[in-house]
Amino acid sequence: MRKADEQGFREFAAANAASLRRTAYLFCGDWHTAEDLMQSSLMKMYLAWKRIKDLDNLIAYARKVLLRTWLDEKRRPWRRAEQRDGELPDAADATVDPDTTSAKLWARELVHTALLQVPPRQRAVLVLRYFEDLSVAEVAVAMGCTEGTVKSQTARGLATLRTIVEKLDSSSGRVAS
Amino acid sequence: MSEQEIREGMLLAVWDEPPLDFDPDTLIRRVEQKKSRRRALVAVGVATAMIAVASLSLPGLLPRDRDTQLGAETQTSSSSAPTESPERKAQRIGDKLVESLGVRMTNFKELYASFAPGRNPVYPPSATRAPEWKPDEKEYSGFLYLTDGIGPTALQVRVSKKSFSKNAFCGGSTTCQEVKQEDGSVLHSVEQLYDSPQVQQAAVARQFESGLIVEITAYAYNPSNGNGQRETVPVRVGVLTELVMEPGINWE
Repeated sequence: MRKADEQGFREFAAANAASLRRTAYLFCGDWHTAEDLMQSSLMKMYLAWKRIKDLDNLIAYARKVLLRTWLDEKRRPWRRAEQRDGELPDAADATVDPDTTSAKLWARELVHTALLQVPPRQRAVLVLRYFEDLSVAEVAVAMGCTEGTVKSQTARGLATLRTIVEKLDSSSGRVAS
Repeated sequence: MSEQEIREGMLLAVWDEPPLDFDPDTLIRRVEQKKSRRRALVAVGVATAMIAVASLSLPGLLPRDRDTQLGAETQTSSSSAPTESPERKAQRIGDKLVESLGVRMTNFKELYASFAPGRNPVYPPSATRAPEWKPDEKEYSGFLYLTDGIGPTALQVRVSKKSFSKNAFCGGSTTCQEVKQEDGSVLHSVEQLYDSPQVQQAAVARQFESGLIVEITAYAYNPSNGNGQRETVPVRVGVLTELVMEPGINWE
């Protein structure tokens, strides 16, 4: 690869690695796996950089690669599954607002428990639509399906998520809004 | 749960994001290593495939080669049979005859063969010089020398492809016999008295289908030098028949 192309990739990777990792985290619910997914996606992009460097929306392409990488990883029968046999208890932070902390903990619960119970493709649609703020058309391009499929997957995903959240709320005593 | 709540929940879910330790250069290095590893793997695969193809194709070539070699060896050996030196062949047959005769006649001493290509003359009794022979006469012949209770003497052996005359062989003897063998050869045998009360000459001739004639003859004298006259032959037709039918000798 030419030095200029390599420099272009270097800049793109440095600028978008963090956001890609966040998206990957919402897909898989684990930061380590998310980092691996992000790096694998960027490696694939590096190999194809000569061909894709002139695309109009490179970050959309990167999201597409990330999504495919994650779905491929999930399909593998020998895929790594982290065994969470115990979690360290959160240490109380006296400096933070208890209400804010509660909201953050609930959000983490939302990801770790509720979102991870949604089927993968529906989960991907929800993340791309509500975290990445992509339009239906953009999600359809990223997922390689029709807009109608995106809409139906979104509806189903939301219904599944709401059901799970309601269950979580009723078990924890929190009132679902 | 509204869509806005889901959106906020997702944004809040990544609030405790661990610090990102990402270096694009490290990633590029890893990709380059992976590429070189893949190239090496492809090279190994190609080499393995070539070796496999070679090992599969070689057996196809080698046996042919081996066959050729074997064929050549066979040809050599089969062609070496006719090209085997006449002396060696004659000596081989002579050694076998000595061995066979020694087993059958244990009273014989100093058994040895002088068996060579070319016709060995038979000395008539009391002859003073060897009879004439034609230089182009090619025969395997010789003498089986032996010493019995009377003294030294010999048996004459001739292997030739000349035409065989039964009348000449029998010489008018009424004891002349002809026996067809299982291998197709014909065994002729005769004992001549020549107006003597005892056998003066015992001879057997094995006539092969190929035209080869093997004659073994015992005389009442030593045919190798024409001396050593005795009353009768040292061995009779029975022993001569066993010699000429010896299975260990490949006459042809």
